[in-house]
Amino acid sequence: MPPNPTVDRPSNVSDALARGRLGVPSVIFFVLSAAAPLTVVAGVVTTGYAVTGITGMPLAFLAVGAVLALFSVGYVAMARRVENAGAFYAYVSRGIGRPAGVGAAWVALIAYNALQVGLYGAIGAAAAPVLGTLFGVEPHWSVVALVAWALVAFLGLLRVDVNGLVLAVLLIAEIVVIVVFDLGQLSHPAGGSTSFAALAPANLLVPGAGALLVLAMTGFVGFESSVVFSEESKDPRRTVPLATYLSVAIIAGLYALSSWSMTVAVGPENISAAAGEQSIELIFNLAAAHLGDTAVTIGQALFMTSVLAAMISFHNTTARYAFALGRERVLPAAFGQTSPRTGAPRMASLAQSLLGLLVIVLYAVNGWDPVVQLFYYAGTGGGFGVLLLIATTSVAVIVYFARSDTSESLWKRAIAPALATVALAAVVAVAVANFATLLGVAPDSPLRWIIPGVYPVAALIGLLWGLVLRANRPDVYARIGRGAESAATSLFGPPVEQPVPVESRR
Amino acid sequence: MLVADEFFLIAHNDSRGKAKLHPSATGLGLAAGLLAELILFGQITVSGGLVTVIDRRPPADALAHTVLDQLIGESQHQAVRTWLAFLAQSSTTSVGERLARAGVLRRQENRRLLRTTVSYLPIDLNAAAWPATRLRALVERPEQPLVSDTTLLGLVAAAGLTREVLWSAGPRAHHRLSTLVGSLPAPLKELVVHTEAAVGAAVLRGIP
Repeated sequence: MPPNPTVDRPSNVSDALARGRLGVPSVIFFVLSAAAPLTVVAGVVTTGYAVTGITGMPLAFLAVGAVLALFSVGYVAMARRVENAGAFYAYVSRGIGRPAGVGAAWVALIAYNALQVGLYGAIGAAAAPVLGTLFGVEPHWSVVALVAWALVAFLGLLRVDVNGLVLAVLLIAEIVVIVVFDLGQLSHPAGGSTSFAALAPANLLVPGAGALLVLAMTGFVGFESSVVFSEESKDPRRTVPLATYLSVAIIAGLYALSSWSMTVAVGPENISAAAGEQSIELIFNLAAAHLGDTAVTIGQALFMTSVLAAMISFHNTTARYAFALGRERVLPAAFGQTSPRTGAPRMASLAQSLLGLLVIVLYAVNGWDPVVQLFYYAGTGGGFGVLLLIATTSVAVIVYFARSDTSESLWKRAIAPALATVALAAVVAVAVANFATLLGVAPDSPLRWIIPGVYPVAALIGLLWGLVLRANRPDVYARIGRGAESAATSLFGPPVEQPVPVESRR
Repeated sequence: MLVADEFFLIAHNDSRGKAKLHPSATGLGLAAGLLAELILFGQITVSGGLVTVIDRRPPADALAHTVLDQLIGESQHQAVRTWLAFLAQSSTTSVGERLARAGVLRRQENRRLLRTTVSYLPIDLNAAAWPATRLRALVERPEQPLVSDTTLLGLVAAAGLTREVLWSAGPRAHHRLSTLVGSLPAPLKELVVHTEAAVGAAVLRGIP
């Protein structure tokens, strides 16, 4: 039978597969719940003010939001053509070449692991007030972190992604709390008048502004996961791009508002000192003064669940990264195996949990500060890694579209990605220059080079490993960047849309 | 016994009908089993990621007949992955029912609080445990197994159930398994790797 040309013919297959497809709101919910807004507002923003001492944070969120929106134009256009679309290294493999893809994969593993592990440093501080209210005890942060760790490890193995409805309710509650707190802060400005000083562009042109941009980037991590749903969305050409832009806009708006309102309530000149003294407690102390104890208790409880949800979400992201690499045989094949009964990527999940345990024990034994030295360092370090990935992916998008025949408009395939690449390169450059400010250490501190230096080293080792694979294991080499789809690589040789064989370019 | 039937018995615990494999991989494995049956009957073929019907005469088995009718009726859909995803939605029920009709399993409804779940309990425990035992023996024997058995082995491996079958076997058995799967005729081999890719993609998607 020839294919039926009439479009209106009902199709059981299409109908059945369309059921349960995601619309724009579902994708946005998924993205934002991974972004954990209250964790960023209460944790990252306050610690950022304390450590950097710069007040340009609201502008940094808006600037990074604009850059990421620009980046997303090419990113979502390419996502439809990439297997394993949720992983940046897949874009790098397809655009720049497979060895570079392996380098990007190593960077991604480090960055996402750092972001996940860093959250163990925040959970102690986040849970302390809640546990104090409920039980009258304030255990050592490492005890709380170990309990959270056990929960994350257990849920990771069971593949219990926290129920979507629960996440949605928590997310809405978090956003409501943030907005209410913001309104409380705005209605009680320091000195009696609302100060717009933090919004002056000059605040982003000071030395150390690169630090703020990295902090802001950390707040956006998670927006990239929207493209995972290309195949499950109602209309891949519309749903995913729209959800991505809206997510970026919502995140930028919410964080800019919150970080600005904090400066209004405390006074722009006092914000750094106040945040230094009160750390994560700052916004709750402000809320206590403006809104009363009930609002504070709700906010603190939600902060704790927000950190937990972010931990679980990043754990699963990291485990899936390792799983995809195991499927490609870039990591040992054991990482690509699942637990039969639950379908959890067992080995990948265990490895991530093991790392978390080691870090918690290391910090507890050495008595290092969990909030600044674990949560903040690992968080910003991870955020910087994601920034590098995004910048590299932006280059990959340009190269990919330049080498393939495509119906995309010039704006989507060249202009927007080129502008985004320039902007991202600038952000990376100032970030590297200002890394000491970001970490709040002396300019000659070795940490200032060690933390950003991890990534080029990892990328280089990954690149070399990719070249080794090309020479010795061509079967594995062909699989790089294809994630779960790499199983089918043996059938077709190189991917169908690969315009120029990578080999000929080097 | 047909490929999907044996896959069903391997993927479910032999005494209480409990699943050994998570639902999405079970559905995809059974869907692939149903397509494999039609390939083995010589009614369809798989090539370049597409399913093509080559013989439209009705097969003897009722479920295979139904699947073939669906393939013929919706020829605008040809991608293997589309059909795997579509058939996976109903394959656990349809293959379970087929085994119930054949007198191998007994359908049982369990009512819990608000929902009713259906499970299929084995009538003869030995018969239900037989496919896994048989496959294990096949891998350990030097003779070349039947194509249908090799296909089943391939699907079991693709769905992530290798350990259930080869739980006591050494690395040589695992090596032999991959050699055997590599020796499958092209359409069946392609079906197996697409199943593996689909199962992996379901894990990566994350949302259950």
